[in-house]
Amino acid sequence: MAEEPKRWDPAARQEVYGELDHPADLFVEVWGNDLPSLFKNALFALYDQLAELEGFEAKRTETITVQAPSNAEALRALLSEALYRFETEGFVAVRADIAVDTEEGRVQVTAHLDGETLDRRRHTLLTEVKAVTYHQLAVETVPEGGWRATLLFDV
Amino acid sequence: MATPSVTQVGDYLWELPPTGGMRVPGRVYADALLMEALRDDQSLTQVANVAHLPGILCYSMAMPDIHFGYGFPIGGVAAFDVEEGVVSPGGVGYDINCGCRLLVTDLDERDIKGDIRRLVDQLFRDVPSGVGASGAIAKLSRKELEKLLVEGAAWAVGRGYGSKEDLEHTEDGGCLPGADPDAVGERAYARGLDQVGTLGSGNHFLEIQAVDEIFDREAAAAYGLREGRVTVMVHCGSRGFGYQVCEDYLEVMASASRRYHIDLPDRQLACAPVTSAEGRRYLAAMACAANYAWVNRQMIMHLTGQALLHALRLGPNDLNLRLVYDVAHNIAKLETHQVAGSPVGVCVHRKGATRAFGPGRPEVPVDYRAVGQPVLIPGDMGTASFVCKGTDEAMRRTFGSTCHGAGRVMSRSQALKRAQGRAIDRELESAGILVRSQGRKTLAEEMPEAYKDVEQVVAVMDGAGISPRVARLRPLGVVKG
Repeated sequence: MAEEPKRWDPAARQEVYGELDHPADLFVEVWGNDLPSLFKNALFALYDQLAELEGFEAKRTETITVQAPSNAEALRALLSEALYRFETEGFVAVRADIAVDTEEGRVQVTAHLDGETLDRRRHTLLTEVKAVTYHQLAVETVPEGGWRATLLFDV
Repeated sequence: MATPSVTQVGDYLWELPPTGGMRVPGRVYADALLMEALRDDQSLTQVANVAHLPGILCYSMAMPDIHFGYGFPIGGVAAFDVEEGVVSPGGVGYDINCGCRLLVTDLDERDIKGDIRRLVDQLFRDVPSGVGASGAIAKLSRKELEKLLVEGAAWAVGRGYGSKEDLEHTEDGGCLPGADPDAVGERAYARGLDQVGTLGSGNHFLEIQAVDEIFDREAAAAYGLREGRVTVMVHCGSRGFGYQVCEDYLEVMASASRRYHIDLPDRQLACAPVTSAEGRRYLAAMACAANYAWVNRQMIMHLTGQALLHALRLGPNDLNLRLVYDVAHNIAKLETHQVAGSPVGVCVHRKGATRAFGPGRPEVPVDYRAVGQPVLIPGDMGTASFVCKGTDEAMRRTFGSTCHGAGRVMSRSQALKRAQGRAIDRELESAGILVRSQGRKTLAEEMPEAYKDVEQVVAVMDGAGISPRVARLRPLGVVKG
């Protein structure tokens, strides 16, 4: 059986993502050793902006599967779906397990997210993210090794 | 891409001459100081990019509150020939019909001096705000939401949340025609069912104000504004419903651009001919979102009225809350304008820009028609907001459009850094402005320093003769999301 994924640690956010300068929206740069960890860290960045993650527990699992023609579009689709579930069901994840399959130009991402449903009496929300945009969207390898993504959240 | 060259062509007007595939020149309204800050900004490249799109008429324009946006700059105005031109969701933005509503009361600032805290607390309790705010009214059924999308603000008025006069004082009567609920995807419905009557977060606000100074007595009198009068300003849009409509149609338009062989300098300008199936369908879905936003602001007005009556223990006749006007500042509209001496049907995109129709236009409410349409320009929470008026000059030069606000100068992360170790709420309180917010983070991100000086932005459009100032409104109490 696979090792249980580690819970995201907001105190260590600067190790996996950072905010870039943008006048109006939330422009982030995310890093990862490989594609699955890049996708995982991007999910962390999204939830970390939406809510104070310390107050949430891993009580239930949601699974998201997306397919897209490129890594960048798959990343956007994954985050977009996570945002949709947050908006409609109040689901906030505290950790994730990711599998990425690339076949004949299609990228398929399966994410198992552990978290719980928002309870406004106990939880603190932070930023309203309107959308995960295509603006400045990129996923690329870095010369020193590993992966890097840039994403713009419309807020 | 290099920043385009800019030439000053008027006291407050700069031109980007057409280069490469630009079909028309770019034009930016700014003073020398604002332009200096813009010179190396990517937003000027965006003005030039928009000029590439098929059917664009006269100029690709930007207002002085211009900043970098998704494809089109924020503060951008572009009109396309209805027959030859295109419509683009990126030219409207995610928050479809984000806009501003101004209410006026019979109260004087003196009357409520000791009550501001109670008022702000009551508004904070009664008008749901913050991330994912919901539950202002009972969750709507799908069928009821579809009715709302077609009827717009009249839906709310028909259920007792307002009056016929409110509709007369709302842009387009609070209803864009042609709204088709079938053009809206399931996800937008899921996001929209529970958010009617909620403020949301970010730069949206609900503010108690006093009329600080009158610049144009005739127009102010027509709008019912007098020095010292208590006003309330609402700034919000179509919530998750509109965001999802935009998102869904960005994908539709990406493939439509390819199908119609539209050459795009930036793929975020994805668009389709106004007359195409995709173009018409986007306009029908966008109209649904626009109508949702008008209902939203109408409901917030109702909730605000109830909160004021309760907190001040007044009767409705003593408060006499009335709608001055409601404007959209993220929208695409089918309008008729004079182009080279003849009336032409155009699709005007106003993305972070406000309609500013001049006197005599039938779209302007009867009681304002002699002076021109009220234009509402919200400022940041620490300074002021403005009421301006539309002009013939705006009709001639900007397709009846002007600026929409201060515009940010500082990123949110810069603002957070700048706010470290400070209590923005206490700073504002010592300046006489009480603030309640769902989160400290929003307050820091929205701190006054993060914005351009609204006085300067408004002065440009006043100086250019597009939308002269009518009144300045000073904040007394603010509810932020």
